[in-house]
Amino acid sequence: MKYTYFPGCSLLNTAKEYDVSARAVMRELDSELVEIPDWNCCGATAADVVSYLLSLFLPARNLAMAEGMGQEVVATCSSCFLNLYRVNKHLEQNPELKGQLDIVLAEAGLSYSGNLRVRHLLDVIANDIGVKAVAKRAKRRFAGIKVAPYYGCQVVRPYAEFDGPDLPMSMDRLIAALGAETIPYPVKTRCCGGVLMTTQKSIGVKLVADILEPAREADCVVTVCPLCQLNLEAYQREVAGKLGWPVRLPILYFTQFIGLAFGLPEKDLQLSSHLVSAEKLRIAGSREQVAESR
Amino acid sequence: MAEKAFNLTREMLDHSFAETVAPDREKLLTCIQCGTCTASCPTAYAMDYTPRQLWRLIQVGLREEVLKSNTYWLCTNCYSCTIRCPRGISLTETMAALKRLAIAQGLEKPSTIQGRVARFYRSFMDSVRRHGRLHESEFLITYFAHTNPLGLAGQGRLGFNLCRKGKISLAPSEVKKRGDIAAIFRKAQELEAGGAP
Repeated sequence: MKYTYFPGCSLLNTAKEYDVSARAVMRELDSELVEIPDWNCCGATAADVVSYLLSLFLPARNLAMAEGMGQEVVATCSSCFLNLYRVNKHLEQNPELKGQLDIVLAEAGLSYSGNLRVRHLLDVIANDIGVKAVAKRAKRRFAGIKVAPYYGCQVVRPYAEFDGPDLPMSMDRLIAALGAETIPYPVKTRCCGGVLMTTQKSIGVKLVADILEPAREADCVVTVCPLCQLNLEAYQREVAGKLGWPVRLPILYFTQFIGLAFGLPEKDLQLSSHLVSAEKLRIAGSREQVAESR
Repeated sequence: MAEKAFNLTREMLDHSFAETVAPDREKLLTCIQCGTCTASCPTAYAMDYTPRQLWRLIQVGLREEVLKSNTYWLCTNCYSCTIRCPRGISLTETMAALKRLAIAQGLEKPSTIQGRVARFYRSFMDSVRRHGRLHESEFLITYFAHTNPLGLAGQGRLGFNLCRKGKISLAPSEVKKRGDIAAIFRKAQELEAGGAP
């Protein structure tokens, strides 16, 4: 199955391993991510602070281009997912908006109906392709590996489209199906601090410490959002200073974790691009074939 | 913080304030001060008014008191309050509207959290306006140059490490049809000129 794909800006640079592993894992699952040609920034949390209409027009251009490509569009970044999804919601709630959007898009020779289904890749893999199909493809099991499943905010809030807004489970099920153990993780949707890590670091470090502290016994954290990944990984020295124990937790994208179970090569995983080494996951766990595989 | 009493005078009150900042004014006026928002907010501990207190100030119309608070600048768009509010108020969107209003009024000073957050978003959107996509390194260098050049040095280690991992590119990735992006920015500004933030 082909999915129209919106990678978003982070996946070009700081989260390039997310892009690479997402494409590779989808290929393994007999699906394809087809990138929207000439896509633009969704506006993240920034556009709405500058202009309400800008925060809807920017993602709407992407939706307009994607509408000609299929029935759905898939995002990997949680903020991109939210912004694309939000256009449809606001078009529903605000009748005046449709006319304004038509005028703007017409300048670009585009139009948008408001009906394109917006998905997050976690939803597609967990629910369309399904946990069973993913487990079936696995070449190894993460026996004895403990994982903190961290979802962050915007993949489930404010639009709890495919999972619960406080304690989602779709990623937990994927991780468990690959043989790893998910630790009880009540902070799985607590905020990573977002931009505050840059604008008010003391608060950002406190919020990340709140998230990493309960993951002390875990071998790694698995997540679905580029900004969460960066905030959780890049400031562990500061977090360690706050918590009083050495924090060296690998923070993986869920697509890398699945790719590891699939036995994908480094070029498809790019584990080496992490700031905190995730190498132990490459060799950890038993290599037994899953009994029922293929 | 502790409860604060105000000696209200006519001049202090802006009765249309709720209408100005809340996408759903009628709902905001139904806030029952239950405090679920504050209990759900990860940054409430650092705010001078908690979210609950802020809604009350907006209801009463204490415009200046609201705008000079740090509360809405510390909102990280986590939407925890929004999904739990028993009145269904668009709280996170109201926080964003407050940021827009404050920026439009030029309230932000570069040395404060207000100024830094405002500059962060402005640098971000300047980069998007130029390229159609965010050029991460350009955006962060611009941001720190404006707010805290020493902070840039502090970010140096992270920047170096990300560079070493090939995760920072010096050349931007750009939208080909940049006329589209220019039109989007121009139209948004035109349509909002004179309207509510």
